[in-house]
This record gives sequence, structure tokens and C-alpha cells, in this order.
Amino acid sequence: MKALNRYARAVAELLVLFALYALGTWLAQALGWPIPGGVVGLALLLLVFALNGLKPAHLQLGAGLLMAEMLLFFIPALMSLLDYGALVRQQGLRILLVIAISTVVVMLVTAFTVDAVFRWRMRRDT
Amino acid sequence: MTLEPMPLAWLGLTLLAYLGSRWLYRRTRIYVLSPLILVPALLLAIAAPLHTRYAEYSADTHWLMAVLGPVTVAFAVPIWQQRALLVRHWAALLLGMLAGSLASMLSSWWLARWLALDPAVALSLVPRSITTPFAMPLARDLGGVPEMTAVFVMFTGVFGAMLGGVLLRWLPLRSPLARGALFGVGAHGAGVSRAQEVGREEGTVAGLVMVLTGLLNLFAAPVLERFF
Repeated sequence: MKALNRYARAVAELLVLFALYALGTWLAQALGWPIPGGVVGLALLLLVFALNGLKPAHLQLGAGLLMAEMLLFFIPALMSLLDYGALVRQQGLRILLVIAISTVVVMLVTAFTVDAVFRWRMRRDT
Repeated sequence: MTLEPMPLAWLGLTLLAYLGSRWLYRRTRIYVLSPLILVPALLLAIAAPLHTRYAEYSADTHWLMAVLGPVTVAFAVPIWQQRALLVRHWAALLLGMLAGSLASMLSSWWLARWLALDPAVALSLVPRSITTPFAMPLARDLGGVPEMTAVFVMFTGVFGAMLGGVLLRWLPLRSPLARGALFGVGAHGAGVSRAQEVGREEGTVAGLVMVLTGLLNLFAAPVLERFF
């Protein structure tokens, strides 16, 4: 019974998240915003939290489930590699090189920026 | 050749491979067995010899991708729960995200041009360090190919998650804030799960920064469109 309850709860929470997504998509289209419906839905949900309409705990099960299984939802897009055989053969290595170098650069820049601001504020505060 | 006679065969295979790989990875913690690598590898190994096209594969499975919309909505929960952290460290996080995103887009673009990659490939590389639900729409706005971007995002995540651990050992970083941001901006979802292994605070920061960076980039799209 308890397990069934949990199951029903997860489904209900998922329905709320899907409904917010649908609402967000509709709003973005109706108002002609160039923003994906998911982002509008995210903003709507933050607004609901801010107005105390719902507590994050009310959606934690459904939201946690979606985020935990996120990989499953973008695996299909990866299968587009099927159509990129020629691209992979001709440019694959160079593409990997771009990704590798750029990732190192991003990580260094981000970490040192955050650390610098953090240290500066620590010095100023103490 | 296709798996035409069996309706929804690709959907079934995808789900089966995903569940199997998730179980294996949880038991062994061997990175190559994670669904991010093992599932596409398995599916490609089946589909390529059959000469399956992406259109045939996605006919069964495209609605899985549609769930990325509700996933985006779900990110509101951690953002709201971590708002205290955000208020306290907004300056460090915001500057880190801005600097990191700029570094990501510019270095991807310049390296791609320098190595003489196709313009469509270069544009699809630009949003590669943000999380997939944000990267795909951004790629479309910039004139890239969203599916190609999804592939680049995956390679970024895999590489970044492995590299981030090595970098942490060498960099003199004082704050968990910087360690978390490194993973969140540099390696999105794969980085977040790696950051969670480093520490609880690192994981939280990484998750938050990943979502906010995605949002930031997407809102910058109208400006970016003019630049690239």
C-alpha cells in the first residue's frame, strides 16, 4: 500500500511538471517569445514557489525522478551519429581536439574566476 | 535493412540497454559502463551494421527527447532549495559562469575555425558545454544542428568528468564553490555527478551552476546570434 502510494504520488508530481511544461510552451507560443517552453515552465514553477502555492518538497519525488533519469531522455539524440558517418571520418579527430582543449580552458577560467572573487570577498569581510 | 517488422523495437532496445547499463554502473562504478557511454555504443553497434538511419531510430524514440522539456521545469526545485547559497555567493558564481561561458563559446568557435571545421559543425560546437535541454535549443537559434550539439555535449561531459578530477588534484583551489563551479560550467550533468563524489557542497554548487549557466546562455542567444 505504501509503495502504491509512493507510485501514485510520483505520477501526480510528474503530471504537474508536464502540465507546467505544456503551459510554458503554450505561453511562449501565444506571446511569440523565442524561449523554449521548458524554460518558461521553470520560471512559472519558481513563481509558484515564491507565492507559496507549492513547496519544493511537494514535487521532490517527480523532479528527482526526471533529473536522475535525464540521461535516458537525451540518448536518442546521440543516435544522430548514425547519419554522421562521413563527418566522423573526415572531422572526428579535429572535433574531439576542439572539445578537449576547450573543456580544459573552460574549467580553468571558471574555477580561477570563482576562487578569485571568493578570496577577494573573504579578505574584504574579515 | 531495418528492424521494421517489430514495432517499437528501438524503443524497447533503448530502454533495456539503459536499465542494464544503469544497474551495471551502480554496481561497478566503472565509467565506461555508465549509460552515457555504454547505451549509445551498444545501440550504434546494433544499428550501424543494419544501416539504420537516424530517422528510423527516432521514429520510435523521439518522444523520449520531448521529456527534456519537463526535465527543464524540474530544475526549478533545486534552484529554489539552494536560493540561500545563491544569495550569499551570487557575485562569485555569476562572474564564474559568465567567464566560463565566454571561454567555452569563444574557444570552441576559434579552435573550430582554426582547424577548418565546417561552419555548421563549428556553430554546433559553440553551446557544447551547457546541459542538453538548453544546448539543443541554443544550437537551433545559432544556426547549428541540435542533434550534432547533443553528441558534442555528451563528449564534453564524458571528457570533462574525467579531466575535472585530475585538474582538482593540481589546482590550488580554496573553496568548494570553485571546485563545484568547475564541474558545473565545464561538464554539465556528467560533471555534477562527478562533483557529488568529490563532496556534498561541490555537488550542490555544480548542479545549481549547471542549470543557471544553461539559462544564462539561452537568454544570451539573441546577442550571440549576431556574433556568430
